[in-house]
Amino acid sequence: MLKTITDLKLSCFLVAALMMCALTACAIPPSGDKDAIAEFEEANDPLEPANRLIFSANVAVDQLVLQPVSITYRDLFPDELKTPVENFITNLFMPLSVLHSLLQGDIERADQAATRFFTALPTFLLANTMPDKEPVFEDAGQTLAVWGFEQGPYVMLPLLGPSSVRDTFGTIGDFFVDPVGWLTETPVTVGRAAGKAVVVRSNNVDQARDLQRNSLDYYAAVRSLYRQRREAQINNGGSTPVQPAPTLGRGESWDTKETASGK
Amino acid sequence: MIARFIPAFVLLLALSVAAPAARADGHLDASSAFIKSLADRTISVVTNTEISSEERRDKFRNLFREGFAVDGIARFALGRYWRGASKEERKEYLFLFEDVIVNTWADRFSQYSGQKFEVLDAVDEPSSGPENVALVLSQFFTSPTSPVIIEWRVASQGDIIKIVDVKLEGISMANTQRDDFNSYIRNNGRKVSAILERLRIMRDG
Repeated sequence: MLKTITDLKLSCFLVAALMMCALTACAIPPSGDKDAIAEFEEANDPLEPANRLIFSANVAVDQLVLQPVSITYRDLFPDELKTPVENFITNLFMPLSVLHSLLQGDIERADQAATRFFTALPTFLLANTMPDKEPVFEDAGQTLAVWGFEQGPYVMLPLLGPSSVRDTFGTIGDFFVDPVGWLTETPVTVGRAAGKAVVVRSNNVDQARDLQRNSLDYYAAVRSLYRQRREAQINNGGSTPVQPAPTLGRGESWDTKETASGK
Repeated sequence: MIARFIPAFVLLLALSVAAPAARADGHLDASSAFIKSLADRTISVVTNTEISSEERRDKFRNLFREGFAVDGIARFALGRYWRGASKEERKEYLFLFEDVIVNTWADRFSQYSGQKFEVLDAVDEPSSGPENVALVLSQFFTSPTSPVIIEWRVASQGDIIKIVDVKLEGISMANTQRDDFNSYIRNNGRKVSAILERLRIMRDG
């Protein structure tokens, strides 16, 4: 009961925070210029000013807390203990993956997630019983996508990071439907989420630095990355052809018949 | 109910994508061999300690120009703003893009320390232009147990064969760069001169 109330409070807070942002700092859609309108629609980010503000706060929290913790974990935590800890966190996500695989009509992945969970139970979820198979990660956002819901505008959630309208609804929904959430106390699901954040972050410390250093607009690069990553997750890792894509640039062109000279 | 039809739909989609592969698989072997040879040569350059770092960067730049369709990627990254750019702007942009991207990749490769790299497979990809496009799958062992899957989008036409995109865990570098560049220009007066200025700063370190 207590747990449901705390979850409710959290989701109310999320919705309230979102609405507040929406009210206070919506980007004004351009009018008149056709190109400007097309760009605005392509970015699909009407909350951009508010999102950027939240992003800066998230980056600050990351630099102050998440990144140092993740680097400490990566460099100082004994390697032989990392495997069981990471297995435990992954296995705790499997019941949710079973549920969503079923909701998506994917019996095979549901079976894979269930097998991984139940065969690891005797080891207190510390083992990976399917080392030759990737773990299954499914969530409500992916299920909604499979059901045909569009992602909607980009949303930057405080602390939780990049999302979309669809995935925000998914995140809220998962508070209620997650079997692990029903069977355990809130600290378990919060700990699981925090644990996953540290593990994932510890694996991309260098990549994140690289992106921050080499992008012109870090916020936009992260937005692009998030959308592409979600697309890949929804397709269960299956590659989707990039369209349009760069070409050899010989003769034909996609925007203009002219070509730059001098090269 | 809808979900029941989805596997059938996915299968149909997979079949329609796989069908052209039977017709045009000559370029698949060539693309795999191309990636393998380029990787071997790149590794031998970046691990060569007998030459100066300047020499190494020059050799790397040559390999990069040979391997990547730099101009094609650059134009793609500029997206809709290519059209509005003047001849001079385009020319400077292409030079700057190459300088900046070579430095970026040279930095990335300078951290290379003998990790195993292997080419796995190549599949046919639909192409909007006259060229054949292959997606070459490879794995790079950042740690002995968990390789990173890298996909190379290789376009070939006649004697010319070049990489047009690199995908890491499903994320396209070209797409990310285009979104990044376009957002930067959009937020800086929608002028190509803004990105030229920023690239100049990046090039000069």
